[in-house]
Amino acid sequence: MSITDAFVMATFTTPEKIGANPQSMLWLLPLVAAIAIVYKATKLPEIKAANFLKEVVILFGSIVVFMSITALVLCAFAWLITE
Amino acid sequence: MTTPRSKENHTLFLLTVGLLAWLIPGAGHLLINQKKHAIVIFVTIVLTFCAGLYVGSIGVINPVGAKPWYVAQIMNSPIVAALGYVATTGDYSVFGRPNEIGQIYTSITGLLNLLCIVNAVYLAHLRKTETAGD
Repeated sequence: MSITDAFVMATFTTPEKIGANPQSMLWLLPLVAAIAIVYKATKLPEIKAANFLKEVVILFGSIVVFMSITALVLCAFAWLITE
Repeated sequence: MTTPRSKENHTLFLLTVGLLAWLIPGAGHLLINQKKHAIVIFVTIVLTFCAGLYVGSIGVINPVGAKPWYVAQIMNSPIVAALGYVATTGDYSVFGRPNEIGQIYTSITGLLNLLCIVNAVYLAHLRKTETAGD
């Protein structure tokens, strides 16, 4: 096995070091992008670069904004209960 | 006598589309001549799935200890079953946040591929219906 093969194998057999901190929540952004892209690919009858990108960005933004609002409401709710 | 036979062929075609879409993400759309859709679906699902494996290692595919996640992950492709076998026979234990992120990524891509399978089969069925209507 060459060094390159071993390196590729190692990247998929050992987990990354990710702490349980607020920054780790940013990992949701690539996933939201993937969801928006695949969803729009199934919904649009024809894919044209500009229109597809616009639709994906709108859906991506909507999901992120809605999740942020939900997080804020839950934070406020938790603060009200614990205060 | 031709109608039942064409109906049988149509069902077989729908099954082929569904099976191909499961074997290779996007292949179902390729079969119904939606090349751009197929490329977008393939690239996005494979990249996101690989990102999940990169973060959490193949240990996130756990058919024994995390069955509900595995059910969603297997929707990606039958290759996941082989990865699950490798993961259970080797020592690839993963815990904490990398495990969570890896499982979420790989499972969500599985569910997205399920959406694509259903969409490809539906579009294949719709085309046949439209052709019959013409």
